[in-house]
Amino acid sequence: MKNDFDFERIWKSKRALRQRLATAPIVEKLRMLDALHQRAVAIRGARFREVTAVQEKPGRYGDRKEKGSRLSTS
Amino acid sequence: MKIQDVIVMLNQIERDGVIKRYAIGGAVGATFYLEPVSTLDVDVFIAFKPQQESIIVSPTPIFDYLRGFGCKMEGEYIVISGWPVQFLPVSGPLLEEALDNGVEVDVEGEPARVLAAEYLAALALQTGRAKDKARLLQFIEAHALDRKKFEELVERHGLTDTWREFQRQFLQ
Repeated sequence: MKNDFDFERIWKSKRALRQRLATAPIVEKLRMLDALHQRAVAIRGARFREVTAVQEKPGRYGDRKEKGSRLSTS
Repeated sequence: MKIQDVIVMLNQIERDGVIKRYAIGGAVGATFYLEPVSTLDVDVFIAFKPQQESIIVSPTPIFDYLRGFGCKMEGEYIVISGWPVQFLPVSGPLLEEALDNGVEVDVEGEPARVLAAEYLAALALQTGRAKDKARLLQFIEAHALDRKKFEELVERHGLTDTWREFQRQFLQ
């Protein structure tokens, strides 16, 4: 069987798709984000059934040298 | 689950004076410039009104306000229309400047304030987790940055060495 994968063409096509997605109207992109989020929740939900909301470790935003003034509930 | 409902609620919180200003960051903010990527939560950077500012910044007024709309707390998050939202008070000069320079985008008639692309990229460089580096690469590959503006930010906020290292690792 002949292997005729043209990787150059595949990469080009992938880049074009990403570019098309990036330049899509914002409303369309936000709908995609909603769909991706629902999928992520379903996958994580199966792993962490005891938690109702999924969470990820937040980034340490702000100047590294300063103590982050994360919101305090105390 | 609709991110647009989150935007509507953020505008309302600001309009009602619970916070002074907000801007969306993180992966949701990046979606305004790049292709959408899966994310679990919404990062919202906020500034309080001067009289609300104190050494310990309390999210209680925001949470109390949102509870009135039936939103539930989940740890550090408050869930708005199915999206866990994390409110992050700005800390540090880069974030303060980023919030001051947030851009307003029209989303079907509703304004959404988002951090500008160059600030999102500079924050990704500063935060420096693997996913932040991946996001910075996305910004570069998509030509979504004003490179001059970005490099000025990098220099002004003392990130030149980090940027040089990033370029050595990923762009050479």
